[in-house]
Amino acid sequence: MFAFWRVERTIISLSSFVLGAVLWEGIARSGYFPPAFFPDLGTIARSFINLVESGVLLTSALGTMSRLLTGFFFAVIFGIGLGMIMGRFRWAEDVFLPLVSIIYPIPALAYAPLFVLWFGLGNLPSVLMVALAGTFTIAINVWKGVAAVKPIWIRSAEGMGISEQGLFWRVILPASLPYTLTGLRLGIGAAWRVLVGVEMLTAVDYGLGSLIFGAQKFLNTDVMLSGILVIAVLGFTIERLVFELIERRTLVRWGMMTT
Amino acid sequence: MTLSRPQVRFLRGVSGIAGALLTWQLLAHSGLFPPGFTPTLPEIASAAVRMIGEGQIFIHIAYTMARVLGGMVLAVVIAVPIGIAMARAPRFERFYIYPLSALMPIPSLAWVPLFIIWLGLGNATTLLVVTYAAMFPMIYNVWTGVRSINPIWMRSAMGMGANARQTFWKVVIPASFPFIITGVRLSFGRAWMAVIGAELLAATDWGLGRLVFEAKEWLTIDVMLNALAVIGLLGLFFEKVVFQTIDRMTVQRWGIVRDNE
Repeated sequence: MFAFWRVERTIISLSSFVLGAVLWEGIARSGYFPPAFFPDLGTIARSFINLVESGVLLTSALGTMSRLLTGFFFAVIFGIGLGMIMGRFRWAEDVFLPLVSIIYPIPALAYAPLFVLWFGLGNLPSVLMVALAGTFTIAINVWKGVAAVKPIWIRSAEGMGISEQGLFWRVILPASLPYTLTGLRLGIGAAWRVLVGVEMLTAVDYGLGSLIFGAQKFLNTDVMLSGILVIAVLGFTIERLVFELIERRTLVRWGMMTT
Repeated sequence: MTLSRPQVRFLRGVSGIAGALLTWQLLAHSGLFPPGFTPTLPEIASAAVRMIGEGQIFIHIAYTMARVLGGMVLAVVIAVPIGIAMARAPRFERFYIYPLSALMPIPSLAWVPLFIIWLGLGNATTLLVVTYAAMFPMIYNVWTGVRSINPIWMRSAMGMGANARQTFWKVVIPASFPFIITGVRLSFGRAWMAVIGAELLAATDWGLGRLVFEAKEWLTIDVMLNALAVIGLLGLFFEKVVFQTIDRMTVQRWGIVRDNE
């Protein structure tokens, strides 16, 4: 009985993929689109294997990831710095908050053409765009986190004679960590979405965005879909696995969050 | 004379913006970039006046707004039933959860080249990209919202003899409304970026993203900066005015306070 229930569950879970595959294959074979526009699953799989074997997918993925991590590194430094200053000092909040709230709602991708003109094509504008996309998301969340640190924690630490430096490292930083991690998670999501678009506009040499965009010119739909597949896997890894691991190691272990 | 707290805040805010503008002006005069690449503030302002006078900016705005709102409506129509079905029936949840987890992390812009091949340049592609971008935050929030409905509300409504339709409209929808609104907000943020990106890559003649792209081709940076400002102001308007008004008129009035803000 229990086994049957489990089998049914698995069947339902798998059925969505089976249904999707059947639908795709049906459209591909119906002849509604030319085969180059809508390749069948076998062609996509062969093309994917070819791209893996020739190393194109790997170099593109490595290029994209290195841009993402470099840009995000700067976003973390600037975002946490700006957020901490805004959270700790009232003058900084007053000065920077209006600026941040004006810049924040502009989708970072809109700057891409401007950055291309200023910095040329290639890696520099892509990395800067990633940094820009991440910085403000992180800054706003860190700022909220620092503002949400219970005043009584700060006062009791000060009452016990903590130094300004100790206060920062041992009270404010850990206490604002739930917000900071939310900011990092949202920030890398935003950076990731921007990067894929930016790579199409800046024509970087090795990148998943430019791979997909370049394949459009030659109508290599199978190459595009292989690129999208890699993007899905990387995106899933970044959003789920990495941050869930960090959260388990810190917040959950310290008892600040329940899973 | 001592200033009151709001006055201090206002003056500091103004000085921050003034400082940023001054930095820009210095950059424009520094000669670090070729002169046309960083236009001075008066040049940007005169371009703004010229653009408003010519009136084409309003057509660009109308096209972009039509695309983003059309995509949002489509996303809501698709996402709300899926989200509710997933929350109410475990079978639907199991059916949808894996494809959703697979599609959600793909940025909508990754699909643009493929959609261009399928649908050509223009409105259909842009609309589809916006719908894709807006759909997932909606589904996720509706699903979470309906799941989080207090079971006592459902049971008491049914105990008082409400039928399925009444339960749906009088309990499920209002109770999950805070989440639905959060979903619409997040969706709008994604959709706003998607529409600009899709217009940069795939629009034919009109749209703010297209305006930015053309300004790059013609090296009219003053026009581009004004287009960016319009994009930012519209985004700000929706976030601060439209959604907060909806929030006030529904969730706050009904006394259902969301816990995250």
